[in-house]
Amino acid sequence: MRFAESIVFSGRLSTLYQLAKEKKIDTALQGSHTRPCKFWTAMKILSGMERTIVIAHGPSGCAYGVKQAYKLINCRNSGTPYEAVLTTSVNEKTIIYGGEKELREALLEVDRKYRPDVIVVATSCATGIIGDNVDAVVEGARAQIGAKLLPIHCEGFAGEYRSGFDLVFGELAKLMDPPTEESRKALSRSVNIIGSKMGPERTEVDTDVKELIRLVKGMGAQINAVIAGGCSLDELRRAPSAAVNCGLCYDIGYALGREMERIHGTPMNSTILPYGIEATKRWLATAARHLGLEKEADDLCGQEYEAIRAGHEVAKQRLIGKIGVIDGKDAVKSLSIAHMLERDFGMRAIICNFHPWSAEARQTSIDYLLEAGIDPEIIITKGALAFGRYESMRQSEEELLDYLGGLTKDSAVYFGSSLSFPSIPLVDLNAILNRPRFGYKGALKVAQCICKSFDCASRGRSRLTKEMVFPQDPNASIGAGNLGMKASASMPDCTFYGKGGMRRCLND
Amino acid sequence: MLKRLTFADTAHSKDPLLSCALEGVASVIAGIKDACVVIHSPQGCASAVNAAYDRHEIDLTKRKIGCTRLFESDIIMGATSKLERMIKQADENFKSRIMFVVGTCSADIIGEDMEAVCRGMRGEVGAKLIPIIAGGFRGNSNTGVDLGLEALLQLIAPSALRIKRTVNLIAPQATVNPGWQADLQWVKEILFELGISVMTTFACNTSLEEIEKAGTAQANLLLSHDAGYGFASRMHEIHGIPLILDDIPLPIGLENSNNWIRALGEHFSCSGKAEKIISRGEERVVGILRKRGMMMIPRYHNCRIAVASDMTFGVGLLRMLYLELEMLPELLIVKSSAPEGARLMEAELEELRISPEVVLDADGYQMKEALKAIEVDAVAGSAWESYIAEELGVKVAFDVFAPTNRVLYIQEPYWGYEGMLRLLQAFAGDWERAFRSKSIELDYL
Repeated sequence: MRFAESIVFSGRLSTLYQLAKEKKIDTALQGSHTRPCKFWTAMKILSGMERTIVIAHGPSGCAYGVKQAYKLINCRNSGTPYEAVLTTSVNEKTIIYGGEKELREALLEVDRKYRPDVIVVATSCATGIIGDNVDAVVEGARAQIGAKLLPIHCEGFAGEYRSGFDLVFGELAKLMDPPTEESRKALSRSVNIIGSKMGPERTEVDTDVKELIRLVKGMGAQINAVIAGGCSLDELRRAPSAAVNCGLCYDIGYALGREMERIHGTPMNSTILPYGIEATKRWLATAARHLGLEKEADDLCGQEYEAIRAGHEVAKQRLIGKIGVIDGKDAVKSLSIAHMLERDFGMRAIICNFHPWSAEARQTSIDYLLEAGIDPEIIITKGALAFGRYESMRQSEEELLDYLGGLTKDSAVYFGSSLSFPSIPLVDLNAILNRPRFGYKGALKVAQCICKSFDCASRGRSRLTKEMVFPQDPNASIGAGNLGMKASASMPDCTFYGKGGMRRCLND
Repeated sequence: MLKRLTFADTAHSKDPLLSCALEGVASVIAGIKDACVVIHSPQGCASAVNAAYDRHEIDLTKRKIGCTRLFESDIIMGATSKLERMIKQADENFKSRIMFVVGTCSADIIGEDMEAVCRGMRGEVGAKLIPIIAGGFRGNSNTGVDLGLEALLQLIAPSALRIKRTVNLIAPQATVNPGWQADLQWVKEILFELGISVMTTFACNTSLEEIEKAGTAQANLLLSHDAGYGFASRMHEIHGIPLILDDIPLPIGLENSNNWIRALGEHFSCSGKAEKIISRGEERVVGILRKRGMMMIPRYHNCRIAVASDMTFGVGLLRMLYLELEMLPELLIVKSSAPEGARLMEAELEELRISPEVVLDADGYQMKEALKAIEVDAVAGSAWESYIAEELGVKVAFDVFAPTNRVLYIQEPYWGYEGMLRLLQAFAGDWERAFRSKSIELDYL
């Protein structure tokens, strides 16, 4: 197929955004493009709360899956002690007679045996359908239980996956104490980082969150909480009194920031992800305004830039005028990278396969970018909209190769997963050693990654790894309609989902 | 009588160590060639199915899983037509010979008539449709293996023919060995050497034809003490195939391997061949350990050990740990409780004349409390127990069972002679790591 035939959209971000607003482009997300259910995403946030026990009111499998997926990783990479995920082990009898009595007993048991700060009751499909009155059970048990109780209605069928993030962040706001004059004063130099998930940061590598904490502390402020990246009830209770909420991501955590602003008047630092020099400067400056640390932030930015100046100038000299083709699958990140490439390195950014759904769902980041005067080129091919995640990946790969055919190895670089095999140099910012990506240090790291990929361009990509992802043998993948998703979200899903388009969050 | 530990506050809240019935069902289906699966469920349940396919190490390009993605409106209005559409779509895309249509919690509770849907669509699709109701609330993953196996009974052709020196192998996947397929391979090699053919494996890379002719086998061999007993019993009832070797531990360690091979030899009248395998195996184990493992004698002698595993390894490891390594099993934490397996454990402990504390159907809380209560020097278990051991100050943790932090590109057996050596090799590596210094004194120089 000629590349022109595979184009669905080609134009500026502002045009795509307008088309999406006016419903002139189909923004439905393919059923195969989302994987976890609302229960899983809710649990991902809850797994980031310290001394919190979740009782999954349902069969054992729901709790077990979450425990294997999130808690084991926290032990492995983040040095957390063993953390339980409880279940009421709903069985056939419970399905017939209801599970309210069991849940009440479970609450009392859990409070006695773990003495947690918070007990969360997370509903599953099974208990959602049989109609257990979880709120009433929780209310009835409050007087007898030392822990704070929080019911979360996150049945897997009750909304698309993202709704679980918003729901839990919204509910966590209920655990927060209203600020007092005294508490505001005490935390007048403190920041909450919001939008984290799963648990504490990895212990053995630098991470983006660690870099943000270093920068915040560098301008003389403190971190009150990383919500929910291993935060305690006390930190959460104090959170509204912090001087400002700084977003780690404008999808996850945005709901919490807005809720805290609405209820408690806690200001929110609404800038783009701090990828690159300009964005970091803006991120810090906006936070500093609320902290009364403008001069300190300015000084810090000066020092940080001074530390990378030599490397940055050399890299910029080399990168200026080159093209950065950015995989748009992770929409917010792709916008941030586009911002960095244009502003910090003088490159031309083209975002490839920025799903029209994102043009509708990622308004905040798009608004910011457009206001900042960055309006990157967007190309959407049929592959992005193909059904089945592997089909989409395979077709997009072919279309990408076709598109990149006109670009030379020394003129353009591709930002995306190393599971993709473009004909131009590739930078995979998710590779574990490429951290931090935020901040000044991150900007230099990214610049060095780009230069390194140009240096290695003559090597090409591994025949071995390409064959692993895209087998030459056409029979190898026929019918499967998929590859498998094992550990990483960047790997394609292996499940073939029923058609029906993306459902809106039913709680919205 | 097993000396069972008891715990307060565990009747209504569990920290589960086993997945739900859906994953068990999927772990049977994943073992069948030319099969696809449609799960009638919200999208999150697909992760349990994928976990089962991961356990089978199914090539990423060869998975055939469909999901109806049920949402609230489907729960209220029913989703039969959605299921029918999905079945057609899956049939067109996957072109499988057999399609398992699996109802999970949601479909099960709202009463989706999966059987009627499958019956009604038989003429419309190419694949043979097999409905399975597998609401996660119907039990744990072992129950699911039983449900999956039960669904296969209808595919076995009735036959008066009995082919001598043939066996069916049942439930090889119901074990905590992350490399269980290597155990299965070892079993097949031993059988081959004894002149016994495998008719059907339930199920690992098994074709529809193999399942159909399972009724002609001479005997059934169960490769788990956690699941498959019900299926074996039904096979006996329906097809008259007896279950053999179910009264001895599986071939874990030297003596259990010897006993298991010897029992096979006796049953199939090939004791001479069996003794040759035993003698060669013993020679291999002793030869290697004499060269490599001499240090394990002072290390393991009277080392107090806790085992955290399923019943398959809980029963199987006892003899090796106690008699062969001279360890002292002080605590057995078993995450399942199949009565047949528990009886076998009881008999084994009686014969060995030891009485460690036992936890059956253990959950995470019980596991941790038991390890707090019973002082041990080492724990053999999964990554979970290795973290708990570290937290509690137990110096040595053998991280050998699933989920493990051990990276395995190539599956390793734990059964048989080679398997025993692999297990001991893993033990030795973890022992060494436990006592290696993790800090570098930079000021020392």
